[in-house]
Amino acid sequence: MDSKQLKNFELDIKKLYEKKKIKAPIHLSGNNENQLIKIFKRINKKDWVFSSWRSHYHALLHGISEKELKKQIVNGKSMSICSKKPKFFSSSIVGGTLPIALGVAMSNKLKKNNEKVWVFIGDMTYETGVFHECHKYAIQNNLKIYFVVEDNNMSTNTPTTSVWGRKTKKLKNVIRYFYKRGYPHHGTGSWVLF
Amino acid sequence: MSYKTELIRSMQYLSENDKVLFLGQSVKFSGNAIFNTLEEVNNNKKIELPVFEDTQMGISTGLALSGYIPVTCYPRFDFLILALNQLVNHLDKITVMSSGKLKPKVIIRTSIGAKFPLNGGPQHTQDHTSAMKKMLKHIDVVKLKNSKQIFNSYKKALNRKDMKSTLLIEYGEYYNKP
Repeated sequence: MDSKQLKNFELDIKKLYEKKKIKAPIHLSGNNENQLIKIFKRINKKDWVFSSWRSHYHALLHGISEKELKKQIVNGKSMSICSKKPKFFSSSIVGGTLPIALGVAMSNKLKKNNEKVWVFIGDMTYETGVFHECHKYAIQNNLKIYFVVEDNNMSTNTPTTSVWGRKTKKLKNVIRYFYKRGYPHHGTGSWVLF
Repeated sequence: MSYKTELIRSMQYLSENDKVLFLGQSVKFSGNAIFNTLEEVNNNKKIELPVFEDTQMGISTGLALSGYIPVTCYPRFDFLILALNQLVNHLDKITVMSSGKLKPKVIIRTSIGAKFPLNGGPQHTQDHTSAMKKMLKHIDVVKLKNSKQIFNSYKKALNRKDMKSTLLIEYGEYYNKP
């Protein structure tokens, strides 16, 4: 998918939400199309991708069809998009995917296959204890897992630097990019009365 | 058959399945009662982990998503509650979250700490079974009150076709009873 197709998908979801066709929270992606397209060129179709409550772009770029993704979103699962093929899991709990991704990476090592695991997290998750213990374990055990930090310096509406003071530097197996959020934390920016 | 003998027999039975792995702290190295029930299990079926209870539960879920059947060991119930995020928010909910597409089957072992002959005190002897039954909507909670239940309960947990996970709660105090 190209940048325009990604943006149009989210615009479509925005319209559906504002027409009250989606009776659950949505978290729209935006302003990070080009960075993600570049990262996903490294991700194999057989790899596992783990995402968060804001997962629409990740899901599309990993091969979940627009039709299937839209179906899951309309069914109220925007925050927990999952798929068996392609292998995709998201959680709406901060850091919740990290240990699960670690388990999948451990399985890949035991099976001696070449599949990789990609975990997309925000900059606040990057500062959590669970990230640091998972990262440490992954590196020490040579697990094929990559952590992509999508840094918009925001957790909900709390600036990460305002509560942590400083941010963790780039670590091994970490890919980090910076962007400014295109949509609010949740919803579309318009008031919708359900 | 004693409580401990039945646990040893059950673990040997589980270990015969190619998909089964045992993980936790003190599965390879001595240090708790659960270790004593795994001594007959081949070390290549065991993954010794650091102390990171919640991450351990997540690793177990990840292994299960990849086709393994992890037997994830928490030597005391008091320690298992440190894994509640992964247990309650993830393992218990994944099948519903994924509309049945993902069905990780995990076998969770824990034990209510003994009060006799040594009393472990308030942080080592709690029984959280009723709280677990209230919190877990899709994971079976089974309390192993006597030795007769043990083998069939573990056998069911391994072979169940519904792919549900099972939390099996043992009594540490019974391990040393003849």
